[in-house]
Amino acid sequence: MALNPPPLKDVFHLSPPRDRPSPAFPLGLGEAGVHEVCEASHGDFAALTGFALAARTRSNGPVVWIRQASLKQAHGTLLRAGCREVTADLPPSLDITPRKLAEALWATEEAIRSGVAALVVAELEDADFTASRRLALAASRHGVPVLLLMPHTRDGATAANARWRLSPRPSSPNRFDPHAPGALRWKAVLERSRQAPHMAGHAFDLELDDETLSLRVVSGLATDPAETRPPRSQDRIGPAGFRQSA
Amino acid sequence: MLESGTKGLCIAAANEPARQLGVTEGLAFADARARAPGLVTEDMDPAADARALAALGNWMIRFAPLVALDGTDGLILETTGCDHLYGGEPAMLETLSGLLERNAIPHRLGLAGTPGAASALSRAAPGTCLPEGGEQTGLSGLPVAALRLSPEAETLLRRFGLTRIGQLYGIDRKALGRRFQSRSAADAVLLRLDQALGLRHEPLAPLRPLPLRSVRLNCPEPIATSDAIRIGLERLTQELCEALSATGIGARRFLLTAFKSDGTRSELETRAARPVREPKHILRLFRERIDTIDPGFGIDLLLLEAHRTDAMETSPMALSGDLASTDMDATALSALADRVMARLGGRSVTLIRPCESHVPERAEQHTQFDGDAPVPAVPSPVAGPRPIRLLSAPERVTVMAEVPDGPPLRFIWRRVPRTVTRADGPERIAPEWWTHIAAPQPAPALDGQARTWLTPKMDPRADAAQIAHVRADLEALLDTPSEPVKLLPRARDYYRVEDAAGRRYWLFREGLYGDGRGGPPEWYVHGLFA
Repeated sequence: MALNPPPLKDVFHLSPPRDRPSPAFPLGLGEAGVHEVCEASHGDFAALTGFALAARTRSNGPVVWIRQASLKQAHGTLLRAGCREVTADLPPSLDITPRKLAEALWATEEAIRSGVAALVVAELEDADFTASRRLALAASRHGVPVLLLMPHTRDGATAANARWRLSPRPSSPNRFDPHAPGALRWKAVLERSRQAPHMAGHAFDLELDDETLSLRVVSGLATDPAETRPPRSQDRIGPAGFRQSA
Repeated sequence: MLESGTKGLCIAAANEPARQLGVTEGLAFADARARAPGLVTEDMDPAADARALAALGNWMIRFAPLVALDGTDGLILETTGCDHLYGGEPAMLETLSGLLERNAIPHRLGLAGTPGAASALSRAAPGTCLPEGGEQTGLSGLPVAALRLSPEAETLLRRFGLTRIGQLYGIDRKALGRRFQSRSAADAVLLRLDQALGLRHEPLAPLRPLPLRSVRLNCPEPIATSDAIRIGLERLTQELCEALSATGIGARRFLLTAFKSDGTRSELETRAARPVREPKHILRLFRERIDTIDPGFGIDLLLLEAHRTDAMETSPMALSGDLASTDMDATALSALADRVMARLGGRSVTLIRPCESHVPERAEQHTQFDGDAPVPAVPSPVAGPRPIRLLSAPERVTVMAEVPDGPPLRFIWRRVPRTVTRADGPERIAPEWWTHIAAPQPAPALDGQARTWLTPKMDPRADAAQIAHVRADLEALLDTPSEPVKLLPRARDYYRVEDAAGRRYWLFREGLYGDGRGGPPEWYVHGLFA
C-alpha cells in the first residue's frame, strides 16, 4: 500500500555528512553533537541565546525549538525580529512548550529522532547525566546538532560534547553616539570539551561585528566608553598672534 | 413522574402498576393522589432524560453508524446495509431486543422502510417488522396518535372520527386541510403521513458526525488486557488504512470506541495536523493513551472511525536529501508535531506567524500548529532595535529617569537595582486606537433583566489568539461596562539600555507627561537584548 515517504534524513546523501567538527573556535557548536550553553549568573539567558544563534554553524533546514514553560516565564520567548541583530538567516522554526522537565527531555529526543530538524534547540532547566547521554547518543546516531540552553544552576557531569558558560560584557564603544551601546560583546568560557580537552577552562572574549554579523575572538577588550575628541584649539580660525595672546 | 403544566402539577409519566390504578399521563396530581393514595412521585428532569437518551444513542452506534434522536423519547437507527451482519432484519430486531433486555432498558422496537413508519410501529405495534414497500398496508390499522402529531391535531382528528391511519388515505387532501384552523397544522399532519408512507423524504440529523470510513472488530470473548486492545487496534488500523488508501484519502481525526460488555463505552481520540493514513503513525498517536481505556468487565466490540477525511498530498519524493528542492520535510514535521501534541496537549506546539502590527507583542503571534509548514522570518520594515527575547508580559519597574522624556538612569527590576551606563532611544510606538474602541454600554433589556453573554464556541484548532481576543472583548464588556474610557491606550517610548554588568534591556515608558490619559507615565521592562 502507498505510504508516506520516509523522512529525507533516511535517504542517502550525495555528500557524506560531516561528523568531525571543526577544531576552530566554536568547536562544532550547532554543527554536530550536543553542546550545552549555560548562564554564568542569573539573567544572562538573553546573552546566551544571542551567542548560540550567532556562533552556530548555518544550516537551512527547520529548527525545532523546545522551551520549558518555567524558563519561558522567567526569560521570555524568542523574538524573531530581534534575531536579525545576531544572525543573518534564522530558518523557520517549530516551537514546542512542555511544562515538566521530563516532557521537555522526551520532546527533545523525539525531535532528534524524527530526523526532520536541521537543528534542535532545547531550553531546559536541568538534565542529569543519563538524560544528556541519551541525547548525545540520539544526536550522533541521527546526525542532528543539538543546543541545550540552560540556566546558571546547571552543574555536574554531562555527556555533551562541550559546555559553554556565557556572560555578557559591556558593549563596544559606539562610534556614532558615545552614550549608546555599541557592538555586542560576550565572554564565553569553555568549561568542558570532548574534542579539545586541553582547551577546557579557556575564556573567549567575543565581539559581534554588527555589519557582517560574524563573531570575532578578541583579546584585551576595551570596556570604557570611547574617549571624546579633545578640543582642537589649533583649528580655530584667526591670526596666529591672536591665538598666542589668548 | 411529575411536571408542572398550565393547570398545576400533573403526571408526565407513569409505570404499569400506576396505570392499572387509573393514573395516566396528563392527569392532575391531586386527582392522581385521589385515585392512588400511596402514589410515589418524583419530579421530571428533562435534561437528565435527554442525556440518558443521548448516551443510549451513542451506545447504539455499535449496531449502525447513523443514529438520530426521534423526539424526546425515541431513537432512529439507519440499518441499511447493517442487517445482514445479524442475519436479516427480524434477527437484528431480536438481537437488539435481547441486548437491551440484558441491560434492563425497557424498549419498543419497530422496523420499516421509512423513519416515520418505523417510529409509528414502535409506538403502536412494538416488535413489528414491515417489509420494504409495505408501509401503506402495515400502518393502516394503527391509531393516528402513532404519527408523532401535536396533541391539538390529534384531538381534532379524533373529533372528525379519524382514529386509524388507514382512514386518512382515502380523504381528499384539500378537504382534510380545510378542516384545520391553520394551514400549518394541516400541513404538519400531511407531512407526517407522507413521511411515514415514504412519499416525502425525511432527513435524519445524526447524533454524531457520520464517519466516512469506519471499521469494527467484534471480539468473540470480551477482552480485558491492554495488550489485547493494542493487538485489536493494530488490526483495525491496518484495515482502516487499507480502506483509506484504496480511495486515495487520509484522515485528520481518528476515534476509537470500545463497547464494554456491561453496556458502557469509552472513547479515545487522536488528531493529526495533516491527513494521514500510515498505520504506524496512527498507532504511535494512540499508544500514548491506550492505557486510559478502562476495560471494566471486558470489551466486546472495538470501533475505529476516520473523521475529517481529505485528499492526501502525494508528491514525488526526492532521491536524496541534497537534491530536494526544500530542506523541509513538511510531512515528517507534521508527524513530529502530531506525536508531541498527542502526549503534551494541543497547545504545546506552536508556530510563529508574522502579523502586521507595530506593537511588539502583537507583531509575532504564536499560533497552534495546524499542518502548515513554518515560514522563514520575513524581514519586517521595523527600523528600531528589537530584543532577542521578549517577556510574556511587560514587567513594571521603578525608575529614576529624566523628566519628561529622558532615558532611565537607575531602575529596579525583579527587586535588583541596576545602574544604566549607556542608553539609546527613544523609539515611539503609537497605540493602535482601532483595537481599543470603547465598549458600548449594554442596553437594558425590555424585561429589565441583564443579558448574559454566552461563551463563544469555536474550533479549538482555530486561531488561539483570535479566541483569546474575542473572549477578552466579551469579558471586558461584562466587567467594565461603566467606565470604558479609562483604558484609553497610551503611546510607548522604547529605550535600549545597558547596565554596569553589560546586560542590555528594552524598557518603555507608557504614556507621556500631560497626555491626559491617566496619571504619570509608568515604566516597564519588555525585553532583553543579547
